[in-house]
This record gives sequence, C-alpha cells and structure tokens, in this order.
Amino acid sequence: MTRSSQQRLRDELVASLALMAAVAAVPLAVTNDYWLGVLIVSMYFVFLAGGWNLLAGYAGQFSLAPATFAMLGAYGTGLLAYHWQVPAWASIPAGILAAALIGMTLGRIVMRLRGPYLALTTLSFAEIMRIVIGNSYDFTRGDLGLSVPALTNNRLVWYYVFVATVVLMQLALYALLRSRAGLYLMAIRDDEIGAASRGINTAFWKTAAFTLSTALAGLAGVLYAHFSSLVSPELGLILQTGLVICMVFIGGIASLVGPVFGAFLVYLASEALREAGGVQLIVFALLVILIARFFREGLWGLARRLLERPAP
Amino acid sequence: MNALAARGIAKSFGGRKALDGVTFAIDYGELVGLIGPNGSGKTTLLNILSGHLVPDAGEILLDGKPMHGMTPVRAAHSGILRMFQLTRVFRRMSALDNLVTAGCALGLEFGAAQARARELVEELRLEHVATLDAGNLSGGQQKLLEFGCCFMVPPKIALLDEPFAAVHPTMKEIMAEFIRRRHAAGQTVLVVSHDMPVIVELCRSAICMNAGVVLAAGETREVLANHQVIEAYLGGEAA
Ligand SMILES: Nc1ncnc2c1ncn2[C@@H]1O[C@H](COP(=O)(O)OP(=O)(O)OP(=O)(O)O)[C@@H](O)[C@H]1O
Ligand SMILES: [Mg+2]
Repeated sequence: MTRSSQQRLRDELVASLALMAAVAAVPLAVTNDYWLGVLIVSMYFVFLAGGWNLLAGYAGQFSLAPATFAMLGAYGTGLLAYHWQVPAWASIPAGILAAALIGMTLGRIVMRLRGPYLALTTLSFAEIMRIVIGNSYDFTRGDLGLSVPALTNNRLVWYYVFVATVVLMQLALYALLRSRAGLYLMAIRDDEIGAASRGINTAFWKTAAFTLSTALAGLAGVLYAHFSSLVSPELGLILQTGLVICMVFIGGIASLVGPVFGAFLVYLASEALREAGGVQLIVFALLVILIARFFREGLWGLARRLLERPAP
Repeated sequence: MNALAARGIAKSFGGRKALDGVTFAIDYGELVGLIGPNGSGKTTLLNILSGHLVPDAGEILLDGKPMHGMTPVRAAHSGILRMFQLTRVFRRMSALDNLVTAGCALGLEFGAAQARARELVEELRLEHVATLDAGNLSGGQQKLLEFGCCFMVPPKIALLDEPFAAVHPTMKEIMAEFIRRRHAAGQTVLVVSHDMPVIVELCRSAICMNAGVVLAAGETREVLANHQVIEAYLGGEAA
C-alpha cells in the first residue's frame, strides 16, 4: 500500500479513535443508566457495522446476514451456559467461534454467487436460522428468549468493556487493512477476475473475509447476550440487518471510521425517533438512497472533502 | 524445449467452434505477434492459455510440462501473466496500489513491491497520475497500468491482448519501447494486435489465426506473405 492510501487509512483510524475517546468521556457527564444503555447498544452495532463493512465495503461481498451471526454468537454462549453450565470465559470464545465457523461454511457455499444472488442466498439463510431458533422451543426456548448469566450488573463496567473492545477491533482492522490482505480484498472487490489473473487466491480471501466479518458479528452477539442477560430470535430480524447497512452507508462505506460514526448516529437517531414508530427505517432508507446517489462516501467522505478543501 | 506450447486446443461455445485444433510453440526469449481477423479466436486462445477457460481438447505445455486443471491463479504463479482486451484494473485503488498488489500477489515483500512499483510508474510515465484511483485514469493510462502489472515480477511469458488498441501514439511508443527493452533482456512475449506496422516492426515471428485455426506461423514477413493469410484479411470470415 502506498504512502497516500496508508495516510488515508491512518486518518480514518485516528478519527475513529478520537470518536471513541469522546464516547469514553460521556459517563463523566451522563450517569443516566438508560442513556448509557443506549450507547452500549450503539457499540453493539459498531461491531456489526465494522464487520459488515469489512465484507461489503472492502471485499465487495454484500451479505444480508450480519444480524444473524450476532444472533448465532449470542445463542452460542447462551446455550452453552444454559444447558451445560459452561462458564463465561469458555462460552464467550465458543460463541464467537461458532459464528465464525458457520460464517466460513456459508462463505464457501456462496463462493461463486455474486450481487443479487449472494444477497438473496444470505437473506434466505438469515430467515431460516431465525425461524429454526424461534421454533426449537425445547432447545432454545424459542420466542420466549433464553436467559444468559449476567456477568455484572454494573452498567459502567459494561460500558468500558464495549469501548475497549471497539478500540481493539479498530486496531485489528487497521492492521489487517494496511497489510497485503487489505490490498487483496480491495482488488477482489474491484475486479474478481482481474484479481485471480494477478495470482490472488480469491476463494481463500473471500472466505477469510466472510469468516472475520461473521466473527465480529459473533463478538457483538456474545457481548450483547451477557450484557442484556436475555437473547431472543429478534436479534436476527432482517430489520436489524437493515439498520446495520444503513449505518455503514450513512457513515461512509469502505472507510475505517464511517461505520463507527454511522452506528452511533443511526442508533441514537432511532432512539430519538422511537416515539414516531415505523418511520425510522423509512427515514434511514431515504438517507441511504440520497447518499448512494449523491455522495457515495457517506458522511465521512463529506467531512473529509470539507477538511481537505484548500484554504481560500 | 519451448517456453509455452499448445497442442490441438479446441473450444466450442454452444456448438460453435471458436478454436479447432490450435497447435503452436513459443521459444524462450521470443517475441511473437498473434494476428487474425475479428472473431478468429485470439482472445479465446489467450483465455485458455491463462486458465480462464478450460479447453474441450488439447493440452498446454509450460517449460515442456503439461499443465492440467489450470486456473488463473495457478497460471499467474507459474509465470503466465496476461493483459485483457477489455482493460481490467482495480478501479478504486490508486495506480501505485494496483502495481503493489500485483507484486505482493506474486510473492514480493511489501517494501520491494513499493520500490518496484515506483520504478515502473516512472518507466511508463505515469508519475503524475500514480496516486489517483485507477478508475480515474484515462483509457490509455489504464492500459499502460495493466501492462505494468504484468511486469511487477518478470513473467515467464506475458500474454498481451491488444495492448495498443485505442492508445495514443506516444503511449503506444512507450509500451513498444518497454517491450523491446524487455525482449532484448530475454523476456518472452505473445502480443495480439491488429496494428500490422507495429507487429512487423516489433515481432520477428508471428502466428496468424482465422476461424479458430492457425493459418500460418513463422517469420512475420513470410506469414504476411502467405496467400491464405492475405485472403483471410481481405475475404473476412470464411477461409
Ligand atoms: N464466452 C463466449 N461465449 C460464446 N461465444 C464466444 C465466447 N467467447 C468467444 N466467443 C466466440 O468465439 C469466437 C472467437 O472470439 P475471440 O474473442 O476469441 O476472437 P478474437 O480473435 O479475439 O477477436 P477480436 O479481434 O475481435 O478480439 C467468436 O465467434 C466469438 O463470438
Ligand atoms: Mg480478441
């Protein structure tokens, strides 16, 4: 990767860390449990958006199942604790691993599918998983939801666990994207046939992107499960995936900071619009359409253009 | 022993024969022109040589060894690198990153790939657009960039599908000069072109195809003097 693109990636990392520093400072001013909870759920979406952006924004694979893998991770840790009393230190990594392994398998199955075919296949997978979990009452307690051990009830502890994990994810994504892996993923996104003809093992790297992306979704799911101490099939609603996609597009796809920014913005806005009910998704969808039409790089791209504008 | 050889390659698309028993050989260090009317099967042949298509019959030999189950990735790692007739670059990556990616994919270390990319950018006169996204380069600049990507790691053989088409004479000369220099240093190249003056000037030997068969192969002047070749060019499809 050349100097200018490395510089750009570093700017994005710095911007996202600055945003997280501001988020880390919020509890100094806000002690209200409800709003801390809202920010924690925003960070749950940061993992989902970050993972989906890796897959869709950098590797060009538009999956419609990010929320499903959060649900799978959450049920992974939840079921292990519920049926076999597995302690959290083991069930949490197991939940992430389960999501990643299922993600890898799905990645291999959809390997040859592109565009709408890939989207539709992952969408069917998402719906099947949600329905299976919802209907397996004896094993999962179905739509009643499964209670998961809460590791602590201290909201502030959870808050900083989420903040620290988001920072770790950003650093890991940065390291990944500035390595040759980042170049290969973008090459596959831009031209898969061209990438193969240059000697890039496209099957391997696409599977890797699927696996990492679903591992991040699984991470979101396990953290959320123990934070909220209840998981239900609603985690995997297609509506949730819709939110994730809106977050990434509104914040700025294919950038390191866009999805982080977008997740906070969209989730906070959806809380503010909660009273208004169903209009939330309409508002976000319209925003996404506008952004896809007029500034493909989202709000981050807009911000960067304003910052880079030469002084008069 | 030949660098690259094909024996009896056949390929049909829905019952229509695009290649019908193509046999030829290219020696180490040779610079060969591949000519023929539109639709004669040149691109199809390149697609097979580079693992993008599986032939219905026949085999390809690299270094005298038959290549079975060839894929584009395997072809690239065995040293067969190609340029596409319809330019393929990574549009949302900078021109330099395109080159670095091509280098890394073939095993160059990051630092070495960067240094090499800068050299090539200079040699191909792309310095002023090197940090632009490749998609923002002009058509000719993109061709030059894709061309450069084939030479990040010197390939065993470069397959160039119409590198000069729709390219400004200045850039055409940059590319031709590049090929000449590499050829003098021993690089093996197969170049497809409809630009006869360039082929005559550049390539000592040539292969002429028509309707999926090799009409003539050998010294360029003799190939061009071959009456079947003349007929193919004047008479169009049927020969
Ligand atoms: N994927 C395909 N499906 C169906 N037919 C094909 C396909 N690829 C090539 N053909 C046919 O095979 C024949 C040879 O095509 P090819 O592209 O190899 O010709 P060419 O010599 O490269 O021509 P040009 O000089 O116009 O580039 C043509 O008749 C073409 O229509
Ligand atoms: Mg052609």
